[in-house]
Amino acid sequence: MIAIAGDNIISSLGFTAEECYRAVASGQSGVRLHRSFMGLPEPVMASTIDRERLADSFAALSPRPDGYTALEKAAILSVSSAAAQAQVDLADASVLFIFSSTKGNVHLLDETEAGFSRSHLYLWHTARLIAEFFGNPNAPLVVSNACISGACAQLAALRELASGAYRHAVVVGAEVLSRFIVSGFQSLKALSPEPCRPFDVARAGLNLGEAAATLIYRRVDKGAEATAGVALLQGAIRNDANHISGPSRTGEGSYLALKALLQEVAPADIAFINAHGTATAYNDSMETAAITRAGLSAAAVNSLKGYFGHTLGAAGVLESVISARALAGETALATRGFERSEAEHPLSVTDKNMHAHQACCVKMLSGFGGGNAALLFKKFKPR
Amino acid sequence: MEELILQLKQEIIRVLNLEDVTPAGIADSAPLFGEGLGLDSIDALELIVLMEKRYGIKLKDPAQGREIFTSIRVMAEYIHANRTK
Amino acid sequence: MPQVIRKYCHVTHRSATVNGKAFPVAEVDGEGKFLTALYRSLKIDYPKFFKMDSLSKLGFLASELILRDEEPRFAPREDVAILCFNRSASLATDALYQVTIRRGDGCYPSPSLFVYTLPNIVTGEIAIRNKFFGETSFYVCKEWDVQQALRMAGQILCDGRTRAVLAAWVECFEEACEAFMMLVDTENQPGIPPEEIAFSTSKKTTWKN
Repeated sequence: MIAIAGDNIISSLGFTAEECYRAVASGQSGVRLHRSFMGLPEPVMASTIDRERLADSFAALSPRPDGYTALEKAAILSVSSAAAQAQVDLADASVLFIFSSTKGNVHLLDETEAGFSRSHLYLWHTARLIAEFFGNPNAPLVVSNACISGACAQLAALRELASGAYRHAVVVGAEVLSRFIVSGFQSLKALSPEPCRPFDVARAGLNLGEAAATLIYRRVDKGAEATAGVALLQGAIRNDANHISGPSRTGEGSYLALKALLQEVAPADIAFINAHGTATAYNDSMETAAITRAGLSAAAVNSLKGYFGHTLGAAGVLESVISARALAGETALATRGFERSEAEHPLSVTDKNMHAHQACCVKMLSGFGGGNAALLFKKFKPR
Repeated sequence: MEELILQLKQEIIRVLNLEDVTPAGIADSAPLFGEGLGLDSIDALELIVLMEKRYGIKLKDPAQGREIFTSIRVMAEYIHANRTK
Repeated sequence: MPQVIRKYCHVTHRSATVNGKAFPVAEVDGEGKFLTALYRSLKIDYPKFFKMDSLSKLGFLASELILRDEEPRFAPREDVAILCFNRSASLATDALYQVTIRRGDGCYPSPSLFVYTLPNIVTGEIAIRNKFFGETSFYVCKEWDVQQALRMAGQILCDGRTRAVLAAWVECFEEACEAFMMLVDTENQPGIPPEEIAFSTSKKTTWKN
């Protein structure tokens, strides 16, 4: 297993994991109405990173702030903050960088963008810039597996650290919003004109969000588990084999991913399930079906999309950071925007912060391409 | 109307990449979704784009599309009554 | 037991081979039509093929070449994983989508293009066709590294559930396409040694800065 040694979130709610966690725990949301978004005709509800604060913070970190896009700056700042906490030398060959993003710098395709070479369009190039900033000698792994990318990146960390080749993995997820991404979700009629309402009977679609988030993991050797703090025990990815953009009605892939985790944990030991909970009609019904089929309908379920929006390739990392902190703090966080369940198969969706003392939590994600992921975290208390 | 129906069939074959389908092979009143042409949810969204781009008809609610896209004939009648270009 | 290559194929925009032997493709009708001709030569009936972007068509055809004589075919199974890699993610389709959102009067974002602006859609297309409920993952890297692909396939095969992995390089850039796909498992020792296979990709797929 691997344990969290450092974390960070750069988002609309703050520039550290602590700042963002406190904002969530006190019920704040970073989702705002943007009346005009990059020349698109319709207004957009979205959570965005403050560009001025980003530029200032990055200038304070780097003597050469030019040559990095906003996405790269956010990712580097995020890693830097997590590394300070983890006290790991990122230049060491025993550290592997794993980068997660769905669209990277795709905004550079826009004819009005200037100042960056097209090489920034390649995700592996961006990942190298991030790793090289810290002097890391290894070729980073780059996951681009749609909205489950952040979970896949953590599963890759688990596997790479288990192989013994590395001692630490820096998992960084980053996504910025562009005309490209926003217009695409508009064309799919997936966006809500209001703040999103995960699992609510009146939900009307998702809100998009920007973020960079980092988890630095360290390998935990056998026998040293008691000092691990919060650890990632297991993960599973399963496909719906149903449709490239529509979730399976029966939740097949999510159900199979949950079932794989349940070989490692009893339902009674689960403090909460942090669902994908995008607040689209189909996603939340699909997750409801999967959780019910897996026999977990009594577990507390929450979604963090009401606070940060859907941060796409960053979501798996960001929501794992918040969930790991909530697990350590014995809290099942409220699902912002949720009031009333659908009548059929209701889940125990949290409508306020609740005490949850159990040792484990589950993080679920689903995405285009039919992929579904589930991760199992456990907290260890030193004796 | 017959001219619009033929034009609509050609447009649909083109924008939905219905290889191996000819205008003559689509019955005017056959269902477009499920059986029939076997279109799916993304095709429905693409038809909404076609309505706006080609005929200047803006559908606010995707659910509206479900009634309009029942068959080529229903769709053509709707376009005939509502087109702005 | 170590993972081994049981079968492999190589597809480009002008040829297809399975286990090193050419797969016959009849009547290529014009520039950029090879993938359609290959589809016809495979004699399958799957109209969804024509809705796919080039990356998905390429990966789909490679998977058909490998799986066409596997038995049983199309039985739902959770023990096959799909692990793909490439260099430019979905950039070719991204550029096509970008044209639909140009500023001014011509902005009509295409939903059917947008859904293909994710590289992992190809893994979904293969999973849907074959009813594979197992792991599907997509990684982006500068170059195809067959040893890395085998190593990562080996990690998946250790999960206690997966019995075979379709591991592939699937790259499409403008008109140039190239896929290497291999069926990797632990059961049919000793398999095909990777050094016997010419796994080097052509290196002309870079956008000029």
